[in-house]
Amino acid sequence: MNLEKFNEVLLESVGVGLAVLEPNTLEIRFGNRRFLEWFPGTVSADMTLREVLPDLDYRRLEERLTEDRPFTAETELKVKRRTVILGLQITRMSDQDMSVVIVECQNISKIKELEYMIESYSKMVEKQNRTLQREKERVEKLLLNIMPKSVYEELKSFGVTTPQKYAAASVLMLDFVGFTDMAISDDPSGVITELNDIFTAFDRIAEQFGCERIKTIGDAYMAVSGLPEPTPDHAHNIAKVALLFVRYLERRNAGNAQQWRCRIGINSGTVIGSIVGIQKYVYDIFGPGVNLASRMEAQSDPMEISLCEDMYELIKHDFRFTELGEIEVKGFGRKSLYRLDGTQEPLSMVP
Amino acid sequence: MAQTMFERYGGFANVSKVVMAFYDRALDSDTVGAYFEDTDLKALIDHQTQFIAQVMGGPEVYTNEVLQGVHARLGITDAAFDEMTSILGETLQDFEFDRSDIDQVIDDLRSRRQYIVTA
Repeated sequence: MNLEKFNEVLLESVGVGLAVLEPNTLEIRFGNRRFLEWFPGTVSADMTLREVLPDLDYRRLEERLTEDRPFTAETELKVKRRTVILGLQITRMSDQDMSVVIVECQNISKIKELEYMIESYSKMVEKQNRTLQREKERVEKLLLNIMPKSVYEELKSFGVTTPQKYAAASVLMLDFVGFTDMAISDDPSGVITELNDIFTAFDRIAEQFGCERIKTIGDAYMAVSGLPEPTPDHAHNIAKVALLFVRYLERRNAGNAQQWRCRIGINSGTVIGSIVGIQKYVYDIFGPGVNLASRMEAQSDPMEISLCEDMYELIKHDFRFTELGEIEVKGFGRKSLYRLDGTQEPLSMVP
Repeated sequence: MAQTMFERYGGFANVSKVVMAFYDRALDSDTVGAYFEDTDLKALIDHQTQFIAQVMGGPEVYTNEVLQGVHARLGITDAAFDEMTSILGETLQDFEFDRSDIDQVIDDLRSRRQYIVTA
């Protein structure tokens, strides 16, 4: 096989469509086999490129050819049912005695299909990411209901949390007098609805003063100030919250058949805060500060707030008290007991 | 969490080949090829990618209502539907999917016949 013959075979068998155009009229003078498969009959009919591909940007094409630079474009055609996308490259080739324009066409359908597919898939992934993000925020919100934010951050970063000791914190314990009898009376679900109502109001009051509700157990309500974020006003805050709880109940009782009478114990002292449980998380507080608050609650008469000397010393200048004398507190020895009667200044919901 | 079929078969890298092959076969078929003839290529590939990803346990895009909406005006026959499911089955076989996975995909598809066939 001589070289000329070889070139001819090569030209006809390559996967690229090739055509040679007259440089001025862009008339198609020659097309190899692949070109004629895509654009049949164009050579024998003496068609120009403009007739075959009317949608090309011919102004741009001319500019590029004048600059002796290649012009590229894409075009779509139907081969049977298939959409074939062709990548075109049109160049001028000149030597001393002649000049022609060469059109190369490559089938880039598969590349295009893949491009479209990747686009489609990335949209799906982005959408999924947004869904996941929303779900994550929902879970986060739920978890923040059961533990303080700083503890949640620790749990998220390290997978575990370490119990924290808070030397300066105040605790409020509350329960209702005769609740057991109330609940089993004629309308148990009504009683629970009311209890829920009251605890919701308590939550709002506690929040106003930067206190955090730790938990409720049945009719018992427990709130804390000074953790997880320390505050120098923890004792004052808890005392105000206690007074407002009582005031809220008095107002509620005035217009209601169902009477809710609480007992409140408050105390300042050392508290340990920690997550308890692995599968079922509960954030809880422990320690002498908590136990003493609980003892104070047991000492209270209905609708009264009790505290002992530990907390009294911290707030004695800003509140009014009644001295109740010394008593023996189990596990704590002898303590002077006080009843919290009110504030020196008028007390409002705004701290 | 258990891996989805999508993940087990190599994620997008492999599934994209399934989508291409499925699309090719569908176009070649004399029973269903004509349905795709005038469809915009980009839209069609978008649909098939999401559809294949969904039947393999990816995110659900095509609820039955959506399926009903997009096929309502296409006048799809039972024969075309059967051809399409069998093309998908063959394509998955070509890619060495387990019999049980193929059955799961095909069963899911068949259960949606009423939302797709309108003729």
